[in-house]
Amino acid sequence: MSALDGVTEAVADLSRPETWVLGVSAAFALFLLAALLTGALGPTYFLFLVGLAGMYALLSFGLNAQWGFTGLINFSVAAFFGVGAYGSALMTADSSPIAGGFNPLVGLVVALVVAFVLALLIGIPTLRLRADYLAIASLGLAEVVRLIVLNERWLTNGSAGLRGIPSFFQGWPVLSSFPEAMPGLRLVVIPGSPILLETAFWQSLLNVALVLAFAGGAFLVLRRAHRSPWGRVLRTIRSDEDLARALGKNTYSFKMQSFILGSLIMALAGVFYTHLNLYVGPGDLDPITTFYAWVAVILGGSGSNRGALFGGIVIVTIREGTRFLNDVALPIDPAPLRLLLIGVVIVAVMRYRPQGILPPQRELIWPSAVDGGGTPEPPDSGVREQKGSGGDE
Amino acid sequence: MSEGALPKEDAVLRVDDLQKSFGGLAATDHATFAVERGTITGLIGPNGAGKSTLFNLISGFYEPDGGTVEVNGTDVTGMEPYEVADHGLIRTFQTPRKLEGMTVREAMLVGPRKQPGESFLKLFAAPGAVGESESANLAEAERILEEFEIDHLATQPATDISGGQMKLVELARAMLAEPEVLLLDEPVAGVNPTLAKKLKDQIRRLNEQGTTFLLIEHDMEFVMDLADPIVVLDQGHVLTEGTPEGVRSDDRVIDAYLGGGT
Repeated sequence: MSALDGVTEAVADLSRPETWVLGVSAAFALFLLAALLTGALGPTYFLFLVGLAGMYALLSFGLNAQWGFTGLINFSVAAFFGVGAYGSALMTADSSPIAGGFNPLVGLVVALVVAFVLALLIGIPTLRLRADYLAIASLGLAEVVRLIVLNERWLTNGSAGLRGIPSFFQGWPVLSSFPEAMPGLRLVVIPGSPILLETAFWQSLLNVALVLAFAGGAFLVLRRAHRSPWGRVLRTIRSDEDLARALGKNTYSFKMQSFILGSLIMALAGVFYTHLNLYVGPGDLDPITTFYAWVAVILGGSGSNRGALFGGIVIVTIREGTRFLNDVALPIDPAPLRLLLIGVVIVAVMRYRPQGILPPQRELIWPSAVDGGGTPEPPDSGVREQKGSGGDE
Repeated sequence: MSEGALPKEDAVLRVDDLQKSFGGLAATDHATFAVERGTITGLIGPNGAGKSTLFNLISGFYEPDGGTVEVNGTDVTGMEPYEVADHGLIRTFQTPRKLEGMTVREAMLVGPRKQPGESFLKLFAAPGAVGESESANLAEAERILEEFEIDHLATQPATDISGGQMKLVELARAMLAEPEVLLLDEPVAGVNPTLAKKLKDQIRRLNEQGTTFLLIEHDMEFVMDLADPIVVLDQGHVLTEGTPEGVRSDDRVIDAYLGGGT
């Protein structure tokens, strides 16, 4: 009973948009559960979708760390995603023209290092300049990286892409043989439409565990960073860089840190994608990925990590959900209209809720500093009980 | 005290032969003056005299074409603004800078220099130290807000307060950076008389506690009442320097303000 009260209280504490998002999410989860139980949605495919959602969440987290925190305009999300995907694929795939066959952990490290170097290379000339220069340069970078991947066959296999990529857990003690070792299960919830849980399902489960680890880790890191003095300097830069400089902050260094952090998270999304899809090609570097990430961040609320997560899930829902619309008898094929749908959603959000659906709204002060005063967050009044002796010092 | 530059033994800020041109216009033309420690030095001059340019040169936002700037005996010429700030020179801006999405006390917490929590690695390697410094800074921010009698604004959004209150918050925040010399660019421009009086009292109080001020101000009554000495700038160079009385009765100053030519 008391646990239920706790939940009720927690819900009562939420703001209206939070309640709304919670309600919609719960309804959506129930809908998915029903679809799963009735066999309308295959469990393996469902896990694939969860993986995709995690991947888009990572991309949005990365962009949020750049645009949402600091105001850096990065139009090369796809390039950093691609660098992550190709970095790990080139290290691990059988068909890799340069290396191949390494443990996926090596691929992960290589991908992150390459993304780091790339972020540094684009950041050094542009981050000292006005914000628009990064936007322009990153727009070019995305194309340059895509064209290199497409044309430098000795390095990337060109348009053929890379096949024969192992799962991320290949070579790990227990996990590498986990999908095969698990028994095939057959669940019958509704007579006549059994749910089969076989090797592919267990493999997908591992993938979901991986993306949850990546996205969860990124979320925790970003949440701590956002509420810290470090994040506060970034937010000051976003509002007014000159003010930060006048107060003794090395804004170039802060912008670089924010840019690199975001780029690494995007590369992480690429690494995951490689081991989820088991094939990468130049098409994976299309600018549409950048577009999706921007939509997710703007939709969720720039600067908000929760918003970025929410936006990422919405993007996957629209992207994949529209596939099913084709099954519904309509005079036109709705699937190709998914970009239009996303456009409509963005216009609606901009019109009715320009700050995004879940903007950061709570005061962002290092938790222990605020909690130490015994005031709840956000406090009702700024005057706190415990203060210094009042004497000047 | 007579007019003219006196030799200043203990200058916290020394500007020597500073020059800056934009195209053919010499915005700062061989400006030389010093700010003595413990003073409230006023910087006045007609519109376009180059006061704001001079501020930007001193604080590192512009790079001078020639001449030197010394803060606390260190040559800071050509340094980045954050490096100049590290030497103890903090400035404010003519129009209050808005920090979107922050409360007043959050905006205050940007002030302290060299916070451990500004290092990304320390957030994870030494969260305890970050928390301690944040608590201390928060307490200090609230103490200063209380001294400024604006502690009731602490949890208001920083963008929702009046222009005059923003000026007060800017001054309060600058104090958190523990400046040795504080450059104020028109602290009472567009501020109602009550708040202007409050700002004046605060500046005077902080000065008595040891902060040196250099302030640009167009409100003559305000600056004459508060500042001593006063440096008069005209067409980029220092016209004269002296006590408020001396400056007020100086014919060249009157000429400059009335556009009587040089």
